[in-house]
Amino acid sequence: MLLNIAATDRTPEIVLTSQPAKLSIKGESYPEDVSAFYGQVIQAVNSLVESPAGPFDVEIQLVYINSSSIKALFRIFEGFDDYQKKEQKVTIQWFADEDDDIMLELGEDFIDRFPNLTIHTLST
Amino acid sequence: MDLSQAIALRNELRNNKVIMAYNGAISDDLMLTLADLLKSRMLAQDDPKRSKTIFSVFMEGVQNLIWHGGDDSDTSGMILITQNEGQVTIMCGNRIAQQDTLQLRDRLSRIENADKETIRQLYREGMSSSNEHEGPGAGLGLLEIARRSSQPISYAFVDVDQDTVDFILAATI
Repeated sequence: MLLNIAATDRTPEIVLTSQPAKLSIKGESYPEDVSAFYGQVIQAVNSLVESPAGPFDVEIQLVYINSSSIKALFRIFEGFDDYQKKEQKVTIQWFADEDDDIMLELGEDFIDRFPNLTIHTLST
Repeated sequence: MDLSQAIALRNELRNNKVIMAYNGAISDDLMLTLADLLKSRMLAQDDPKRSKTIFSVFMEGVQNLIWHGGDDSDTSGMILITQNEGQVTIMCGNRIAQQDTLQLRDRLSRIENADKETIRQLYREGMSSSNEHEGPGAGLGLLEIARRSSQPISYAFVDVDQDTVDFILAATI
């Protein structure tokens, strides 16, 4: 396991494995120190890009995410883009509560920014 | 301040339907405490969707104050929240250096009259930009606020002296 971070009131649970390549991010995201919290995740995803291990499945299910976390998440998505450039398929499932327009719209924004990635927005 | 002035201030707050007023240094802990308080009040009105929008605008506004605010009561942040006939207005203010206002003025002027679609486009562009000087959100927070507001954002710059300006931003949800 590359990462196994437990959720707190203000940071999501993050689990990253390489065999199979899987990442899940679930919960709230407004850490006090965004670069410290997401730095490790960006680094771990980038290390997976260096040694890709087949199709990469990503699940994201956030409740509230602040703007600085969105920027960090953008960098993680750049890692997905790099992973896919190595001829490996990346599939992202973006879950949001069916009433949560904010998170559903954000999923669409990521789809707009990363046209090469397969991103599905799913309401729960 | 004497007691009659305190009563006058309270009446002023009451007449303006102020539900939260704060002036002073703002820490991360304080932001969370106030956010929880606001959240519980909003949830009491049984509209989780709206409650989340208000929470989001509050967090972005206050995070800006933490990032850009000073440490003493003159330079640090001000938070004022009013609730009037179902409309919640969140106002955040802080004192900044004149030289730091240029980029902010430019950004605000692009946002203030923009329609929702333009704001969304600016937002999407802002997701990838990084500028450490502007804080970890690098302008995205402002767009988040504009995007979530039900009315165009309003703001003012009030000169304090040659070098400093009081900046205030208001968003209504």
